[in-house]
Amino acid sequence: MTGIEKNNPMSDGGLSDLKHEFKGERGDLIPVLQRVQALYGYLLPDTVRAVSRWLKISENEIFGVATFYAQFRFHPPGRHHVRVCLGTACHVKGGEQILLMTQQRLGIGTGETTADGKYDLERVACLGCCALAPVVTFDEKIYSQMSVLKVQRILDEHKSD
Amino acid sequence: MEINHRAVTFPEGVTVLRAAELNGVDIPSLCSHKDLSPFGGCRLCMVEIEGMRGYPLSCSTVAQEGMKVLTDTATLRELRQEILKLILSEHPSSCLVCEEREACKDYQGTIRKAGVTTGCRFCPNDRQCELQDLVEKIGITEIDFPIVYHGYDPEHDDPFYDRDYNVCILCGRCVRMCQEVRGSSVLAFTHRGPKVKIGPAFGRSHAEAGCEFCGACVDVCPTGALADKASKWEGKPDGFHVSTCPFCAVGCQIELFHKNGRLTRARANLDPEVNDGQLCVRGRFCQPEVTHHYERARRPMLQKGRYFREVTWDEALERAAAELKGVKPEEFLMLVSPDLTNEGLFAAQKFARECIKSPNIDSTARFELAGGLGLWSKLFSLRISIKDIAKADTILAVGLDSRFDFSVVGTRVRKALDHGARLVTIDPLDSNLARYTDDWLQPSPGMEGLLLKAAADRLAGRETDVPAVAEKADVNADLLARALEIVASGKALTVIIGPRVFHYDDLADLADALATMAGFETINFIPLYFGANSRGALEMGVFSGVAPGIVPGDDAGFGWEEVLSGSQRPRVIYCVGDVAFRERPDCDFLIVQDTYLPPFPVDVFFPASSFAEAGGTLVNMEGRVQEVVQVENFPEGAVTGFMRPDWRIFSDLAKAAGCRALEYGTAADVRSEIRAAVPGFPATIDRQPRRMQPLKELTFPAPAGGKKSAGDFWLVAEPGGYKHRGIDITSKVGGLCELGLEAGFRMHPEDLEALGLESGFGIQVSWDGDKAGVSGEVKADPECGRGAVYFTRRIITGGLKREYEIGKLDALPNPTRVRISRLEI
Repeated sequence: MTGIEKNNPMSDGGLSDLKHEFKGERGDLIPVLQRVQALYGYLLPDTVRAVSRWLKISENEIFGVATFYAQFRFHPPGRHHVRVCLGTACHVKGGEQILLMTQQRLGIGTGETTADGKYDLERVACLGCCALAPVVTFDEKIYSQMSVLKVQRILDEHKSD
Repeated sequence: MEINHRAVTFPEGVTVLRAAELNGVDIPSLCSHKDLSPFGGCRLCMVEIEGMRGYPLSCSTVAQEGMKVLTDTATLRELRQEILKLILSEHPSSCLVCEEREACKDYQGTIRKAGVTTGCRFCPNDRQCELQDLVEKIGITEIDFPIVYHGYDPEHDDPFYDRDYNVCILCGRCVRMCQEVRGSSVLAFTHRGPKVKIGPAFGRSHAEAGCEFCGACVDVCPTGALADKASKWEGKPDGFHVSTCPFCAVGCQIELFHKNGRLTRARANLDPEVNDGQLCVRGRFCQPEVTHHYERARRPMLQKGRYFREVTWDEALERAAAELKGVKPEEFLMLVSPDLTNEGLFAAQKFARECIKSPNIDSTARFELAGGLGLWSKLFSLRISIKDIAKADTILAVGLDSRFDFSVVGTRVRKALDHGARLVTIDPLDSNLARYTDDWLQPSPGMEGLLLKAAADRLAGRETDVPAVAEKADVNADLLARALEIVASGKALTVIIGPRVFHYDDLADLADALATMAGFETINFIPLYFGANSRGALEMGVFSGVAPGIVPGDDAGFGWEEVLSGSQRPRVIYCVGDVAFRERPDCDFLIVQDTYLPPFPVDVFFPASSFAEAGGTLVNMEGRVQEVVQVENFPEGAVTGFMRPDWRIFSDLAKAAGCRALEYGTAADVRSEIRAAVPGFPATIDRQPRRMQPLKELTFPAPAGGKKSAGDFWLVAEPGGYKHRGIDITSKVGGLCELGLEAGFRMHPEDLEALGLESGFGIQVSWDGDKAGVSGEVKADPECGRGAVYFTRRIITGGLKREYEIGKLDALPNPTRVRISRLEI
């Protein structure tokens, strides 16, 4: 059983630790969501329902707020994090194609996790190493001067992980 | 202040836009709305104000004395053109700027029904569109921004309205309406930047997300993004009449639109007295389908030998009159629907009492007003004001879920909460009101009355043993003590009692509570019941033993119950819009007068006009006499049908039977007779709330009790809300049928899981040590409390053949203990 499953806040229980930290007002929504995400790694529908009950804000409104900010995710993080940079330098050097290829190879969109829970994919704005553009990171490792072919090779390398 | 160099006056606190509007100055705007908070999204309403930098938005700037406002300068016109072009760059706009658009109107008239809107000619909102009007006014001939088409799939999955967000301009009116006024918050802006789209969370359907289907979003949409399914392609209506919704006792004011003399759709009227621009699913979406359904009965019918034939009015009237002439008063029974207008009800009782001279008259209003006519005449004598709910500082809501029923009451509660009122709810079910409060008492089914009694005793300063009450009702004692404290601290208390509470067998506590609370003139009561004109039925006296004007009569007749139990067998039964039987009742001759044919054979059938075809009046729960306006007025004919208003049929039938007591030419003739017979009934149509003179004796039906059945679950019967005359409108309105709100059994999903069941499975409900039982389909409903199974006890079964089995539960006490098991096939 992973940590995520164990702490699955199916009922109000998962939030009980948080409840004493906040007043339970409407304005607490974003900090509460941040704490929930820190605890469980992502926002799952049951947590959103529990937060909705607690703060008396509808689930739809919460979803609207959370989808506005890039920091909130609705999919459990994968075991490996793939990040494709689309900052100015990477964009100019063809980062768009690399992202597209990665999406196709993994069969998911940005912000999603593969069905087997192995990879999640994120697009980032800049990793601060523009001289190496275009850049892709696999977990903590940075791969520089990527191309569509090289990305495939990296994914193949990690196939057996 | 000055607007366009003209000195104007304005009420304090309004925005510049509203001040201009009140003084007849038009400022273009797409996102502002009188009921909604300022948004400043479309930016078309910008104005110039002396001393203020830039171009402030008139919709979000508060008007102040001494302001000098210019609304229509050359710079503003130019800016508005540019802004509108930006808006149109994300809206299919080819038809708006096309040079051929005038000629197109004449030549392209037939290609309008399109799945996707690519221009005005393919839009359901064509020629009734705010955006079109503004383009015309601001004057745009070309758009020099790149055009974006989102390519979203049009959404047709939910009942009642379609959505095409390619046409949406993100003005946010629907979102604010759903959040601020309705309080259901189903619609929200999701995502960000160019991907912003309106919809519920996690891509759920609107039905799943808790949509009330009130249509308020459709009404405020300035484009064709949201459109009624039923009247989408009707085109621009010819006009509308302000009428009263015929479906429940709230009596909302509605605008009935018509085209070519036919009713096309209904919309809320901005009437401040009752509904203030809000409606529920029935009022907003169900009206045209109920009157125009293909099964609608349009001709008189007669059983001739083996055949049931369409005949002329004369033949049908003659046959019925011949039968009625020979009938003895004690062999006759008339049943009248509480959905009839006052005119229909009055003529019905007069026909029975004066033409047949029979005291046997009854109405299913008796069942809608559960708890007895005495109790309800007392309730109707209290202060009832829907408008004043919004002014309450404390609200006690018992057994009310306003998602689909009595939504307007729910919006008023919501308004009060916005002003800082406190809400206590008592409900075994998780209602849409419980969401707004920390003080939700969730007793076991049937204990609502006991908790209400505790609240009443607290108000009257009597001692209550809180822990004992809490234990009996199965609620937390601390929670109960706090809730009682809140109720007692209220200066302006509103008590709302939902229909379910009146339908339990044991009403002693409830009646006790109401009797205590009736002593407080400050309390605003909202007792809710189904049956639109049940209060009118009580006033018109369509019950044996109660004459018009609520005079207790000594004419002891019999009614519905005696026929069902078999203790009486009338020779002739005359059902007026009220066919409350599952099969043909035992009698020699059955006359039915209704808008649809009943589901069993009859001897004579008279087609009655629907609410849209006959004018009349209804009495709402506050006692307002409100007008139902005749929208359709076609001459009788093979295509248009031969329907007649109820009062006219009685008049015609009396004439045919040689009785001169009912000679009416118009509905007004009947009304003048009503005024003479019913004290306090207004001379003209007068919407003032009235209070009723209560009947002297207060009788309660004794609880059936006795048999205590064992079992793990409470079986709870809820009254059905979708009855209109002889039909359940669910069977005629496609969208309601899709929602299936009252179908089968409903249980909490966790209870289902514990039993190893799933939504859609068949279950066996058994009692009496498994000696008796019925089966039916079960549905998971997260609003149900744990340990209970709910079903809808219907009075009317017209059009609902599948519900036959569940009907056997009617004889059981409510609530009762049962055992649930999986149905083995």
